[in-house]
Amino acid sequence: MRNLLNFLAKYNHVIVFILLESLALYLIFGADNYHNIKFYKGFRGISANIEKSVSNSRYYFGLKEVNDRLATENNVLKERLAMLTTGKEYSTWEVIDTSLGRQYCFFEGEVINNSVNRQKNYITINRGQKDGIDKDMAVISADGAVGIIVASSKNYSVAMSLLNIDMRMSARIKSNGYFGSLSWDGVNYLEASLSEIPQHVSINVGDTVETSGYSSIFPEGVMVGVISDYYSSGSDFYDISVRLSVDFKKLRHINVIGNRLLEEQTELESSFE
Amino acid sequence: MINNIIKYGLYAVILVLVQLLACNNIQFSGYINPYVYLLFILILPVDTPSWLLLLVAFLMGLIIDVFSGTFGLHAFATTFVAFIRPTVLGLIAPHDGYQSSQSGLSIGSYGFKWFLIYSSILVFVHHFVLFFLEVFRMTNFFNTFLRVLLSSIFSVLFILLFELIRRGK
Repeated sequence: MRNLLNFLAKYNHVIVFILLESLALYLIFGADNYHNIKFYKGFRGISANIEKSVSNSRYYFGLKEVNDRLATENNVLKERLAMLTTGKEYSTWEVIDTSLGRQYCFFEGEVINNSVNRQKNYITINRGQKDGIDKDMAVISADGAVGIIVASSKNYSVAMSLLNIDMRMSARIKSNGYFGSLSWDGVNYLEASLSEIPQHVSINVGDTVETSGYSSIFPEGVMVGVISDYYSSGSDFYDISVRLSVDFKKLRHINVIGNRLLEEQTELESSFE
Repeated sequence: MINNIIKYGLYAVILVLVQLLACNNIQFSGYINPYVYLLFILILPVDTPSWLLLLVAFLMGLIIDVFSGTFGLHAFATTFVAFIRPTVLGLIAPHDGYQSSQSGLSIGSYGFKWFLIYSSILVFVHHFVLFFLEVFRMTNFFNTFLRVLLSSIFSVLFILLFELIRRGK
């Protein structure tokens, strides 16, 4: 007994160390959902508020640029409107009408926290459940695909950015329709890589890469980026670098897209897995 | 004692604020993110009890975690640094040993060179644990290692800068 006590007294710091590290590991790996831990939720309110004020002041200095971008976007939309009213077909932006009405619903929002320098980047958005935002919705900006909502609270939601090494997204090459898997290797925030495109397909630098619509989260045909480089490795597939069309460093205005038929589709598909 | 608690409490608050509001927004080429808050664990007095050091380090890491949305990552890395700190201090002890005192360690305690070695070792270990735990894979080992190295250099630079300001005050 005495020996045991002596042992404990001598190595108390090792015991404290092991306890604390286990707790830390539990926090890292035990939390399978991004926002699941209770105490974290409490802090989230405080930190979201701080983030909001920091982001607001930063926003103020970028207003001119935001203005320009909105003006350009406005122009594009006006052009589209003109095309629609003149009866010309414009197929880039497809909203499919079904008997249930629109398949996709759009919400606008603002990014209040964002990072590009981590390996697992997340984006916080100032819209939450009370605005109708939920898990598994797509996030896009005027320039293209941004990420997927992974958690939402009452007022905020968090999206997994394309710049996250855990992100996998179905994307296709616009010119030939071949689809592959888009991921990020954690090196350069301007580039992602597209894999699983077979080598018999002819591709060129500058080809547009867009969402395939197969994931049922993103609608079909949302811009992702352009091919900036590719080479044939030893396997049957190309290694393709895609220059992302979204500049994640100055992301501000985003749209969230919800698929009303997502549940129906996944339910049907799951019965065949 | 009470004085010390207030003093280090104040340092902790300042360092957390500097880390969250300034350093987390510094991103050189997407590779480098300096972590200045580690200075807090570096400057605690030599005779701080090990368990207290570990606990304080854990809490410091947890605060950074909470505000940057990285579950337990920083808590793990800082606790690890606190654990090896006594060993590192032993390895690089000056000839006549440490003057056991309540006053903390600083750039002025045992010379610039000593502090540089001391902070470089601990910062490197911290970044190594942090970055590899974050990625949690061995593919791209050298890329991650490069990030560790570059970020360490910048963290040490910022820590030295902070120390110079603290001494000049």
